[in-house]
Amino acid sequence: MIDRRPAWLTGVLTICAALLAGLAIGPAVLLVMISLQPAGGDMSSLKGAGEFVAHTVTGAPVDPVTGQAGAYKGATTRNFQDAWEKGNLAGPMLNSVIVTGTRAVCNVLLAALAAYPLARMKFKGRSWVFVLILATMMIPDQVIVVPMFRTVVQMGLADTLIGVIIPFSVSALGISMCKQAFEQIPASLEEAARIDGASTLQVWWHVMLPLSAPTLATLALFSVIGAWSELLWPLVVLQESKNYTLPVAVNQLLGEFAGNVRLAYAGAVLSLVPIVAVFVLSQRFLKPQMFAGGVKG
Amino acid sequence: MKGVIGQRWYTPWVFLLPALVVLGVFFVLAFVQVVYFSLTRVKLFEGGETEFIGLENYRRLVSTDRFWWCLLNSGIYLLVTPLIIGLSLGAAMVVEAGLKWAKGLRLVLFLPVVTPTIVAAIAWRAALSEDAGAINGVLRAVGFEGAPWLTQWPWTLLSAMMVTLWKGFGFYMMVFLAGLLAVPRELKEAAYLDGAGRWGVFRHVVLPSVWPVVMLVFVISSISALKVFEELYVTVKGAAIEDQTVVPLIYDAAFERGDYGLASAFGVALFLVILTFSLVNMKLASRGKEGAEG
Repeated sequence: MIDRRPAWLTGVLTICAALLAGLAIGPAVLLVMISLQPAGGDMSSLKGAGEFVAHTVTGAPVDPVTGQAGAYKGATTRNFQDAWEKGNLAGPMLNSVIVTGTRAVCNVLLAALAAYPLARMKFKGRSWVFVLILATMMIPDQVIVVPMFRTVVQMGLADTLIGVIIPFSVSALGISMCKQAFEQIPASLEEAARIDGASTLQVWWHVMLPLSAPTLATLALFSVIGAWSELLWPLVVLQESKNYTLPVAVNQLLGEFAGNVRLAYAGAVLSLVPIVAVFVLSQRFLKPQMFAGGVKG
Repeated sequence: MKGVIGQRWYTPWVFLLPALVVLGVFFVLAFVQVVYFSLTRVKLFEGGETEFIGLENYRRLVSTDRFWWCLLNSGIYLLVTPLIIGLSLGAAMVVEAGLKWAKGLRLVLFLPVVTPTIVAAIAWRAALSEDAGAINGVLRAVGFEGAPWLTQWPWTLLSAMMVTLWKGFGFYMMVFLAGLLAVPRELKEAAYLDGAGRWGVFRHVVLPSVWPVVMLVFVISSISALKVFEELYVTVKGAAIEDQTVVPLIYDAAFERGDYGLASAFGVALFLVILTFSLVNMKLASRGKEGAEG
């Protein structure tokens, strides 16, 4: 048995844990504070931040240092209203939900469909098809963004959400994750379903999918995180502001209201909240083991 | 690996079809096209016609100073890799130590990963702001001068690297956790009984077992550092292109200047760099693995 950890080591580890947590949360706290700050406030200096907190806690439009009445400098939801209305964020929020949801569903379904024959069927060309699929992982989408865009234009999908969704509706990584999960499922279950008269598609739907649910959930979560965050591709494809996804809209806010950066910060918080909520609700699917399988492909 | 009863010859292909169409059109075909475009002058919006001009774009690429600056900057950007390995391995070890709240800590450290890059970049812009940001504030308080984080090379690169590091370390922490959890407990106990101290167990048992994972993370995070775009595009918005890396250069050439041929040549060059890099990496990784085993 390894001895109990000495107290000093536990102390050091606890300090490291606190520092790491501070590093992870610090920028988000700053973001939220600035998004709540009223016009004319000063968040960037320590004194300004202190005043902000004091005003927020006491709620009084009184200068905490001099004791004199002044403008209220505490938290306000004004920036959120302004960002929502002036930045027209309702459309981008809906667009982001559509793009993210569709991409997650497509990623899971198309990857699971493709993985089934690769994991379970005997056919000519199986191994070279799989190698070809894996080879697409070697091609960074940043390298092929020009011809990808040209294809989308030629398909008449420029400036549409479908154009944003289609190229990333399935990935080699997803196919490989599903293939590994399917290979773990005992063949006897498949055969039993067959004897009961199930078709290939029914076996896939009623046996393979439910039994690999944790992997599929992880794949869905990866897709959601990636799609919600993506900026480069929607920036290339989308032109009209009504078609923007949230990251593109927030990027627009940053340029358009350069004089009042608080709007972009409020927009950033609005795009952060849904994804954090999704993550916290589904974090039980994020097991370290999934990352071992996932990155090795 | 049994064939399914009653399977027709086309059944597997029906299942594969949607994925093959998407990957074929948007990755395989696009890759062939990017190579072809790099040899042409492309008029994207005039019917998409292309005019073959041989190696002209590559001649322009070689004689463009910006390309070499951006390539150098991509090289500098790779320095984020050792930092990310150190931070994520450290974080994984802290989480794995089994403190109270370890599950909660893991959750919190993964939050930057789910944060959209643009949100992370905006938050860091506030911390890095030149006259008033928290980071310059701290630097001044301890007697340094503040740095022009958002406007001047090479500080701009460093700022974007901080965002990459912040957003990425939680992901690699999970990869390392998987590696650490796979180290057999008996092995650690045996080494401990043989008189290896805590440090000895780490040095001679844990580190060799996770070494392949270190190599893996090295490869993945280097490749993603070479592909960086969003961190630079938002964090140091408006910085000169020659102060950025290769992907912003591709974006600028294609979508700001409409020079698709040259942009494609930049793309092919980046692909070759990434390919070389991953091949060398894999070679080193396999050698490192043999070393660890032998």
